[in-house]
Amino acid sequence: MNRYDTIYDVMVIGAGFAGMAATLFAAERGLKVAQTGATGGIDFSTGFLDLMAVHPVAEGRYWDSPWDAIDAVIAEHPGHPYARLGKDRIRTAMNDFTSFLQSQKLEYMGHEDRNTPILTPAGTVKRTYRIPRTAWKGTEALRDKAPTLIVDFNGLKGFSGRQIVEMQHKEWPRLKAVRVDFPGSFGELYPEHMAWTLSSPDRCKELADSIAEHAKDVEYIGFPAVLGLNDPVRTVTLLEELTGKHVFEIPTLPPSITGPRLRATFDRGLAPKGVCTFSQKMVLEARRDEDGLFSFLIGVPGDARTVRAKNAILASGRFFGKGLRAERTGVVEPVFGIPVTQPEQRADWHHPHFFDKQGHAINMSGIEVNDSQQPLDAAGKVLHDNLYAAGAIQAHHDWMRMKCGAGIAIATAYRAVEVITEKNGE
Amino acid sequence: MADILLLRRTARTSWYRWAMHTLIFIGFTGLLVFHALDDIISYPFISGYESTLDPWQWLRNLFGGMALAGVCLAVARRLGNRQLKAISRPQDWLLLGIVGGIMLSGFLLEATKIISPNVFDRMTESYFLPEEETDVPALQAYWSARNGVIFSPPASTDADLVAKGEELSANNCNYCHSDTASAFLSRALSTAISPAAQTLNTTHADEYFWYLHIVLALLALALMPYGKFLHPVATPANLAARGGSHTATPPLASAAARKLGLEACTRCGECSLHCSVAPAHAAIGNANILPSEKLVSLRKYADDGLSDHDADAFAEGSRICTECLRCTEICPSGINLQELWLSSKESLKQRELDGPNTTIRQCNALQWAEVLSAQGKSRFEQIKGNGLADKAESFWGCVQCTTCTSVCPVVAVSEAPAKDLDLTPQQIMNLLRMGLKDQTLAARMVWSCTTCYKCQEHCPQNIQVADILFELRQIATERLKERKLTACPLPAATSGRFSDTTRDIQGQGSDSEGGKA
Repeated sequence: MNRYDTIYDVMVIGAGFAGMAATLFAAERGLKVAQTGATGGIDFSTGFLDLMAVHPVAEGRYWDSPWDAIDAVIAEHPGHPYARLGKDRIRTAMNDFTSFLQSQKLEYMGHEDRNTPILTPAGTVKRTYRIPRTAWKGTEALRDKAPTLIVDFNGLKGFSGRQIVEMQHKEWPRLKAVRVDFPGSFGELYPEHMAWTLSSPDRCKELADSIAEHAKDVEYIGFPAVLGLNDPVRTVTLLEELTGKHVFEIPTLPPSITGPRLRATFDRGLAPKGVCTFSQKMVLEARRDEDGLFSFLIGVPGDARTVRAKNAILASGRFFGKGLRAERTGVVEPVFGIPVTQPEQRADWHHPHFFDKQGHAINMSGIEVNDSQQPLDAAGKVLHDNLYAAGAIQAHHDWMRMKCGAGIAIATAYRAVEVITEKNGE
Repeated sequence: MADILLLRRTARTSWYRWAMHTLIFIGFTGLLVFHALDDIISYPFISGYESTLDPWQWLRNLFGGMALAGVCLAVARRLGNRQLKAISRPQDWLLLGIVGGIMLSGFLLEATKIISPNVFDRMTESYFLPEEETDVPALQAYWSARNGVIFSPPASTDADLVAKGEELSANNCNYCHSDTASAFLSRALSTAISPAAQTLNTTHADEYFWYLHIVLALLALALMPYGKFLHPVATPANLAARGGSHTATPPLASAAARKLGLEACTRCGECSLHCSVAPAHAAIGNANILPSEKLVSLRKYADDGLSDHDADAFAEGSRICTECLRCTEICPSGINLQELWLSSKESLKQRELDGPNTTIRQCNALQWAEVLSAQGKSRFEQIKGNGLADKAESFWGCVQCTTCTSVCPVVAVSEAPAKDLDLTPQQIMNLLRMGLKDQTLAARMVWSCTTCYKCQEHCPQNIQVADILFELRQIATERLKERKLTACPLPAATSGRFSDTTRDIQGQGSDSEGGKA
């Protein structure tokens, strides 16, 4: 049986957070999973796992407790994806997800009951639920306002130590910055190439030597997140040994290397679980056959093949992930033609001010699902009894402003797989 | 030695070729030593040697048969493989024809001698003293029955007479003659041609075949120094010189060693069958892409030079070569092709024939933009119409996220992309979005792209980044070709930095000052 002849239990459409989570949970429950999807959401991630942090967005109010924030957001937006899940399920989903990452040497830290403040590359502070180990010490430095050095590099755009110091100096007087040449390179730098370079201990040594003078009087050193690609903990540990200081990473502007690290972790970890990944392939068409199975045409126009599956989880994201398509006349869902909840007319999509605190109405659009994560048609009926949806494609949330992207993706994927497994057991 | 005598390198290409070549090699060598040179070798060194005695008579047939079978296999191979048939030249067929001809004429000569009463008469006159009336008819009867001589009128078949003939033959002929049956192929041939025996015998066909056989052999000898005919000498010499080396690491190549390598080519075509850029030949049609054909051009190039047109074709073939080593690895003659290509490329470079990749690097991208935009679209572009780089929909998804640049291995190995490459992939996409195609044509990123397709594979917006880079390179190449530009008409830039130039981007393309060559 080759990969195109197999009939899969589940076809996961999407390779972002929701797609990866759905694939992982389904594979862990012993289902035969196929996954499609191209570069997208996960590659542009900061590496932080947001659960729920900001509500209401118009006020930009940060919550310490994600769980209280979930209650608050549900109260105002009853259609929010979290409203259909229950906290226990969300908690379990997050823990299952991070323990997989940990098993693949990408360890995450955080508190069960509260968000942790952390620096962004813009020098602001955001709160998030789970943080890669290599960034964790940055939260301690921030909490204690410890003497800290931020290092940046000539030629790396979009990451400025001075900017961070400028934003923080009132509350954090012992924060300082230094700009050095990156070992072995000059001119324009790109995070992925830097990460490869720092996989070499010799280059780490050069880097440590070049900042030694500036790091004398600090306890912590913060770097842009370019400290190694596949085993960043090793690079961070080495730099700690070389400098004698606590070392942490701060994500760079997207695409930051933190995203490819996550993707690489799934690339490594899913295959041994029997997942068949159709890498960089998109679903061009979907058809439900008479026997109830789905047939998917996957690939690129002119070079596409059919794959069949008993169930499908649509985790194709919103606009950037191409799960929703914004056309002149409105927003459509291109694969199954699921109706999209959206503003009445195009003029209502965006607020006149780009940075308006309320956000834009278009960023609450998406498809409607029932409690089993099944997409609904215009009449509110289940579209197909074996089709599920997860992640950002759902309506009634603005994950970017609410800071709930990873949480929604992981928890709704968990729920979809749960329902499929229950049905299989019947 | 294994390479030379057992044709070990030939065996590595295919068993078919090994069998074919071994048959010819052993057959031909055997005939050469024991038959063609029998006056020099066989008679002095082998006591009691006679060409018509066994085992020599039998061996001659065996060797001849082997060589002929090998030639047939070789012909079948060249006709059976479309690609090989296409690159077979007259001299390839000539060699096979002459070798085959020598063998065939040899067999026909022997067959016509077997049936010839004239030859019989000549022999009996020289070596037989008849004592009785019936001696000659008896000998005729026996030789006709036993050895296939066809007399006219036919010899008697009387058993007593034959028995007498056998006795006479044993006493007179057998010192020098084994049964013709041991010349198993010639004897079979003589049976096959027996219906025409009458004509053949009266016209003394055997003499004609003798002349044919000798003339062909002398022709082969005369052609020996030329082209493929030298390979039986040059190839072992080359293998010996290279110590039977199987790798491409040369013992230091001298001009003489190179010359020897050029001569050692047997034109077997294996290199072209294994060439990794052979598909480019199928697409472009320039025979110089295939190593066996390029070698022919190289010989001319090295000896008396090529015409401009042929030199361009040779240079293009040389450029397309990826130096992947496959031809060198497979060559049954052990020619260090890789070294030949490297040195010929070097030589082409010195004559400014190494193509646009070098030309384009003589000035920076902005200077070229001036030259190339003044020239306007090439015929190639006009015929092809709008390409990817001209269509807005190719880029309107681009969000300038830099993913393409981040995954690019060419950017990765560059210490300072802005300095070494002029523009990174996402910057090229950005210029194209702004309609500044001419400004990207000579960017060294475009010319250093390995078309590994990582950018295209990773682009979150499905933009055909690699295809576009390749298209830009093709457009620039066509424009250079059209104006026969082998050097930048502007003074070389003092710095390669795209951004260092004192010109601003506006005001480009309208003046035609760049057209001065």
